[in-house]
Amino acid sequence: MTTLESGSIMRPAAARNRTRNVVRLQFVNTQTFLWVPALVLAGAWVLTILIYWMLEGAGVSGVKTGGGSQAPLWYFLVVGIQAMTLTFPFSQALSLTRREFYLGSLAAAAVSGLGMSLLFTFLGLIEQSTGGYGMNGYFAYLEWVWERGPLAAGLTYFVLTMLFFILGFWSATIYKRYGTAVLTIVLIGIGLALVGLVALVTWRQAWPEVGQWILETGSLGLTLWAILVSALLAIGSYLTLRRMPA
Amino acid sequence: MDSVIEVRHLTKRYKDVLALDDVTFDIQRDAIYGFLGRNGAGKTTAMSILTAQNLPTSGQVRVFGEDPYENAVVLSRMCFVRESQKYPDDATPRHALASARLFFPRWDQDLADDLVEEFQLPLKRTIKKLSRGQLSAVGVIIGLASRAEITFFDEPYLGLDAVARQTFYDRLLTDYAEHPRTVLLSSHLIDEVANLIERVLVIDGGRIIMDESTEDARAQATNVVGDAATVETALRGREVIHRESLGRVSSVTFLGRLDDAERAAFAAVGLDLAPVSLQQLIVRLTQQRTPGRDTLAPASQEGTLR
Repeated sequence: MTTLESGSIMRPAAARNRTRNVVRLQFVNTQTFLWVPALVLAGAWVLTILIYWMLEGAGVSGVKTGGGSQAPLWYFLVVGIQAMTLTFPFSQALSLTRREFYLGSLAAAAVSGLGMSLLFTFLGLIEQSTGGYGMNGYFAYLEWVWERGPLAAGLTYFVLTMLFFILGFWSATIYKRYGTAVLTIVLIGIGLALVGLVALVTWRQAWPEVGQWILETGSLGLTLWAILVSALLAIGSYLTLRRMPA
Repeated sequence: MDSVIEVRHLTKRYKDVLALDDVTFDIQRDAIYGFLGRNGAGKTTAMSILTAQNLPTSGQVRVFGEDPYENAVVLSRMCFVRESQKYPDDATPRHALASARLFFPRWDQDLADDLVEEFQLPLKRTIKKLSRGQLSAVGVIIGLASRAEITFFDEPYLGLDAVARQTFYDRLLTDYAEHPRTVLLSSHLIDEVANLIERVLVIDGGRIIMDESTEDARAQATNVVGDAATVETALRGREVIHRESLGRVSSVTFLGRLDDAERAAFAAVGLDLAPVSLQQLIVRLTQQRTPGRDTLAPASQEGTLR
C-alpha cells in the first residue's frame, strides 16, 4: 500500500453533526413527519368530539370514551416506511453511513413522536380539567392510560409512536433488501407466533391469569415492556440495514 | 505513486452474474479518470463498492488507506453521483442542494448557485416533476459543488442536451484546475470526454482491460487505409483489431506503436496512417470480447470483416 493521508479537512465537530443533520434531512419530508400525523390527530379529535356532542344532544350523559386517539399511532407505521424508502437512497448519495442514517432517522421520529405525545397529553389535561369538554367525553384522557399521571400517559403515547415507527422502518428495510415474498413470509411468521401464543394460553386456560397480569402491570408497566420490545426491534432493524446495498 | 484508492482482487457476484471478477487497480490522487465500458460491464457496481454503497463478495478496497464501509470520515471525502439517483418524494432541488450542503465539508454554495443558473434548474419544483435533463443537472451540481476529494460521476448527463453537457465539461475542468481532486467519470460518450480525461480505466465483462494515460491509450493503435493486398503485407505479424473493406480498399486498425522508420515504410507503399479515436479503440477492444470469443482475438481470426 502506498502513501496515504491521514489529515482530513473535516472537523471532528462536523462528524458529530452528521447524525443530527439527518434529522433535518428527514424533515425535508415535512408532510410525512409533521403535517400528516398532526392532521390525523386533529381529524380523529374533531370526529370524536362531534360524535360526543351528538350523543350528549341525544341525552347520553355517561362517560364517553373512544379509540380515536390511537389513529396517529398507526400512521407512524407509514412514517417508518417512508423514512426508510424515501430517504435512504438519497442519504447514501450524501455519503452518510448507514448507522448515521439510522440513528438520525430514529431521532427524527422521536422529534415527531414527542410533538404528538405533547399534543396528546395537552388534550388529556384539558379533558381532565373540563370534565371531558363539559360533556363527559374523553379523547385523550383514558383513565387506564392516565392512572399514573400525565407524564406516564405521555410516555406511553411516545413509546407507542416509536414502536410503530420501528415496525414500519424494519418492514420497509426487509422489503427493500429481500423483496415482497420474504416480507410476506416474515409477517406470516409473526402472525403464526402470535396465534401460537394465543393457543398456548387458551390450552392452559390461563386467560384469567393473563388478564390479571395486564391489570397488575398497568399501563406504565406495559409501557416499560414496550420499551424493551422496541429496543430489540430497533436492533434487529439496524442489523438488517447494516449490510443493505443502496 | 500517490494512490487515493487501492482495489485488490475485488470480486462481486450477484445470484448468477459475476459483475466484478478479481479486479485490481489503483486510482491516483488529483487526476480525471475516464471509467469506460459497455452497459453491464461492472462500472456502477465498482463505484458502488468504492463508496461503500454496496458490499464486495471478496477482495479488498482501501480509500485514503482505510476501509470505506461505514467509515464516516472517509465517506465524507467522497461524492457519488448516480445516473438513477432517487430523491425523497417531497424534495425540490432546493432541498436536495441544501441537504448536500449539510454533509459535504468542502461544499461551495457560490458555485452551486452559479450552476443552478447556468443549467436553468427550477429550484422550487418537486424533483418528481423535473425533466430527465433537469434531474441530471441536480446530480451534476451536487457532484461539482461538493468538491469532494474523490468524485464519481456515473453517466451523469442523461437527458442533458449538447450545450448542457459542454457546460458540465467546461465547469468540471475549470473547477478542477482551481481545486485539484480525483474524478472518476463513467461515460458512453467517449469521444466527448476524451479531451477531459487524463487516464482511462476500461472495464469489460467484470475485468479491467485497460489502465493507462489517455495519451498512451491512443498511441496503442493506428488505422491504416489503402490497397487491400498492400495493407495485408504491411501488417503481417501485427495484431489487427478491426478490419473493413470496400472493394479493393481496406481500412484496418492494428495494435502497436510505430517509430518514424515504420511510418516512412507505410508511406512508401502508398498507405495512409491515421490516429484512432479513443472511442474507436475502446469499441474495438470491447467488441472483440463478445461471448464465445473471450480473449482478445488474434489477427487471423478476428472476424469482424463484413
